[in-house]
Amino acid sequence: MTNDFPEKTGLSQRQKVLLGQFATIFVILGLWEYAAGRWIDVFFVSKPSLICVKLWSEVFEASFYNDLRVTSLEMFGGYAIGGFGGVIFGVLLARWPVAAQICDPIFVALNSIPRIALAPLLIIWFGIDMASKIVLAATLVFFLTFFNTLAGILNVEAGLVNVARVQGASHWQIFTKVMLPGATSWIMTGLRTALPFALIGVIVGEFLAASEGLGYRLNQYSTTYNTTGTMAMLIVMMALMMVLNNIMIRIERRMLKWKPRSGYQIDTTY
Amino acid sequence: MMHIQGVGKRFMSRGAWVTALESVDLKVQTGEFLTIVGPSGCGKSTLLNIVAGLMPASQGQVTVNGTKVTGVDRRIGYITQSDNLFPWRTLRDNVAFPLEIEGMAREERYRRADAWIERVGLKGFETAYPHELSGGMRQRGNIIRTLVYEPEVLLMDEPFGPLDAQTRIVLQDLLLKLWETSRATVIFITHDLTEAIGLADRVLLMSARPGRMVRDERISIARPRDIFHIHDVPEFRVLYDDIWKELEVQVRGPTTATKP
Repeated sequence: MTNDFPEKTGLSQRQKVLLGQFATIFVILGLWEYAAGRWIDVFFVSKPSLICVKLWSEVFEASFYNDLRVTSLEMFGGYAIGGFGGVIFGVLLARWPVAAQICDPIFVALNSIPRIALAPLLIIWFGIDMASKIVLAATLVFFLTFFNTLAGILNVEAGLVNVARVQGASHWQIFTKVMLPGATSWIMTGLRTALPFALIGVIVGEFLAASEGLGYRLNQYSTTYNTTGTMAMLIVMMALMMVLNNIMIRIERRMLKWKPRSGYQIDTTY
Repeated sequence: MMHIQGVGKRFMSRGAWVTALESVDLKVQTGEFLTIVGPSGCGKSTLLNIVAGLMPASQGQVTVNGTKVTGVDRRIGYITQSDNLFPWRTLRDNVAFPLEIEGMAREERYRRADAWIERVGLKGFETAYPHELSGGMRQRGNIIRTLVYEPEVLLMDEPFGPLDAQTRIVLQDLLLKLWETSRATVIFITHDLTEAIGLADRVLLMSARPGRMVRDERISIARPRDIFHIHDVPEFRVLYDDIWKELEVQVRGPTTATKP
């Protein structure tokens, strides 16, 4: 970002923000460290120092890597299937308005099922291994992507479509050269908002029935009242999500570089 | 020659038939610059949408050089008020779009697009996205992306409407220069009587809704014209005052006649 006016202090706005963020985190962690064992029982909230030690020991455990790998694979599988399916269905139904009208209430109804309630059934159908988690994540991702894709294509400005029509574009050309690019920002928004849901689906599935995965590992810790282990797993999941989200935002920016940046920008890439 | 024969448009609105456009008969000579002036909502845009093939007529037909226009027709180009440049395409890719859809090789279509871009003074902005361009620049892009595929007839629906007064005159001048070399047939709709007379070989006056042609005036001001000083031309003033009297009646409507 460029500043139109030179700052009086030596720090740029970016540096100030970073400094503020570090200070905030430091204060919170410091307060936590101090309060645990003094004001609150360590048993309930653990301690940042203990969590750090725990994370350090996890790093040397082979089982941790196995759990991380399983969760990542499940998440990737669910996200890929759900996202791909959502875009394809959105595109197909946008091309075929009657089908869209027929399917709309059905899809709304299916999407209204709380996915946690669906999970036991999926485990019966697909077993306690990776498949059931992949499907669960996919059902969450699918609808978010689908509804956004459909809305995006239907919201492409009529004026733009008319330009292509007048210039003699075929239906297929209008679709690929006007409708799809016009819907890109909606599709990308759908894919980005669906990302955390892929992790949610996978973790919920692992909670219910699993023999490996980060959700399973967290569940092991929490059922044995190991708050430190539980917190450590939460941090791992948080970090995983942030990394993936960052990748997603970068892809989105690259694809939408033609779009004017407007309004207040919260920079979430570091 | 372009022949609009008895073209009219009616549509259903809240259970009643509304006549948007009364039967219009119009002959436009090849290479003629025709402007149509009329009050808002008189059906000018409806007429152009029908001629462009975007909207079916309720009655009548349009022919270009004797062949009937059925639906969208590459011989007819349409330039609208909003520039409608594809926001995800660079200026070059917007201008080259009509050539792209006809299957022209990239190198050739870029060469042609760049030549047009240079002609309208946008050299250096080939790879700019529409949001990086000003309103006037975007409208230039809108015009040349139609000229690039050389349609025989150009329909222009208030193309300079949203622009500021100075940009308008610059673009009017540019349009005249482009037209004088291509000599396409032009049907140009506007609210602005100065623009209508300044550009045209012939000005048509349309009535308030339902739209009818109420006046057909030949403009014999010599070409090439200096649009920047069109007000200084004596013929212009006479025509302006004369046509304005009639337009004023249409703009004000019959009800205001009793008011002071």
